[in-house]
Amino acid sequence: MSWAASPAAAAGGADPGPGGEDPSDPGGQRRLAWSGRVTGAPLRLRSVSAWVSVVGAGVIWLALLGPVIALFTHLSAGAIASALTAPGALDPLVTSVESGLVTLCVLFVLCTPLAWMLAHGRLPFPRVWEAGVLCSLLLPPLVIGLLLVFLVGPYTPIGQVLAWMHQSATNTFLALVIAEVYESAPYYVLGAQAAFASVEPRLEQQAALLGDRPRRVFRRVTLPLAAPGLAMALSIAWARAMGAFGAVIIIAYHPAGIPLQIYTTLQETGLASALPYALVLLVVALPLPLAAYIWSARAGRRRRG
Amino acid sequence: MLDADVEVDRREFTVRAALQVAAGERLALFGPSGAGKTTLLEAVAGLVQPRRGRIELGGRVLTSTASPVSVVPPWQRRVGLLRQNPGLFPHLSVRDNLCYAPTASPSEVELSELASVLGIESLLSAMPARLSGGQAHRVALRRLLLAHCDTLLLDEPYAGLDVSLRRTLTDLVSSLVAERSVPSILVTHELADAQAFADRLAVLDRGELLQIGAPDEVVLHPASRRVAELIGYLGFVPSGEMVAGVHPERVIAGGFSDRGLVLTGTVTASRPAGAGWEADLRTGEAAITCRLPDKPPVSDGEFVVTVLDPPFFSSDGSAIAAASVESEQDTAEQVRR
Repeated sequence: MSWAASPAAAAGGADPGPGGEDPSDPGGQRRLAWSGRVTGAPLRLRSVSAWVSVVGAGVIWLALLGPVIALFTHLSAGAIASALTAPGALDPLVTSVESGLVTLCVLFVLCTPLAWMLAHGRLPFPRVWEAGVLCSLLLPPLVIGLLLVFLVGPYTPIGQVLAWMHQSATNTFLALVIAEVYESAPYYVLGAQAAFASVEPRLEQQAALLGDRPRRVFRRVTLPLAAPGLAMALSIAWARAMGAFGAVIIIAYHPAGIPLQIYTTLQETGLASALPYALVLLVVALPLPLAAYIWSARAGRRRRG
Repeated sequence: MLDADVEVDRREFTVRAALQVAAGERLALFGPSGAGKTTLLEAVAGLVQPRRGRIELGGRVLTSTASPVSVVPPWQRRVGLLRQNPGLFPHLSVRDNLCYAPTASPSEVELSELASVLGIESLLSAMPARLSGGQAHRVALRRLLLAHCDTLLLDEPYAGLDVSLRRTLTDLVSSLVAERSVPSILVTHELADAQAFADRLAVLDRGELLQIGAPDEVVLHPASRRVAELIGYLGFVPSGEMVAGVHPERVIAGGFSDRGLVLTGTVTASRPAGAGWEADLRTGEAAITCRLPDKPPVSDGEFVVTVLDPPFFSSDGSAIAAASVESEQDTAEQVRR
């Protein structure tokens, strides 16, 4: 059902428009038409506002996708080949992947319990805990980097403890992981919290009543049911960690990951030679989110039967 | 034998109830929404903690707030709870759902027999989403039985289903309860469901257990005016110092003073109801509703009905025994003379 179903529109006559009163249709057909649109009939462009919203949606979609399109239109095969075959060109890629994987492990181990407790209201003063998580989300990454120097820099207590262990949290792999954790953790915690909150508590109760201890309930019911959401949260955190730049440039200039490589190449040799690394970053950062998306969609379909 | 005597705090009131359900017995817990019925079941299941009380199941102490204090956690209670949502795990196949409990270890032969009893042979490896509402409930029930639970608690399990399916499932539960000889409690706010299921009926309102007894006893002789209202008595007619409770289905046309209370009034409205007619009747200052097989004449003329053996209540709402009712009526008549 749509506007075309109303007799006036079918005859090609004057369309009353959304605000107008159609004397031949005292309410009945109009309501049918509206209910049809709610259930997902194709949009018919019969009014100015419909045109504006459709055009607006198209423009914003193109605008969001624009950079990716630009990337592919400005890349040449020769430039990619020469950039990637230069000596040591792939070192930042290895650094980024390694630090990203370590970051994911840290997030999964440390932040999953926090997300579970937040979702189940097991923490006193939950608003305070949530505010803490939001804090690192709302702070500009550059500011996080500056503040991290005051927290883990060589002259701080933490820095001195690390020095005593012959470690350092500035310009090291450890520093890179710390910066990436700070930039990606809130995305994971909030996503995982939503994933756990979406698990029906009565299913967990049922599992317990069938004889499962809480840890078994978590392993057999909570985790599998939250898994698609957790995977999505983890993959978003991965993309954030891969692209982390603001905090990284301040406390972890060395060893350089791909974002820093893009920045230094841009500074030293210009836009054209930085572009291939942008492609590398996309190629590395995107597969995990895509795989997570496809997997969670499949899990959803499977559960729906 | 399930023996529960608990006080559970809720936000607005405290649920107080003492219930004993014998092995193989079926108790229906009846009451309006928000009366605390589910809270009581959850206390037995160990999902909410009673402020005070003791719960025993088959000789095992599940909860005791007096010394020695003990609280058995839900996963060791062997209590089966079935809610309106059957609670099948959506990420596990029907087979894995049936065998979920660590104590459930049916053989492949038993499983396929069970599947044919349930009529889901082809769906054993499918996901629960493919089951119909009735099938899902049957699978959930079988899952509880495979887990060898010692009691069955049913929390309005069939509220969303149509009447005939509801009756089939209730009968199924009844036969399984008898077969396994476990105590069972059905929580419902539908009197018909409670009557179809129960050996005994308990009426709960705002956390208080108002009456417990055989279903027909509770329905025909409510212990108080409040119970009568909950059971479905729609009219209360003053009779001397007392009021008589009028259930719409306990009214017949015509005056038969030997069978109950004879009322005379005018029919103010009537409408078809089921296979008969429902009529509103005004007698003096009281208005009653009655169900009659024939359409009553709507006119200003008088219409005589008999309320079959109505329960009588004093002004404070408590029931008055039938014997004393008769003597009081006699005195009232003498006074009138």
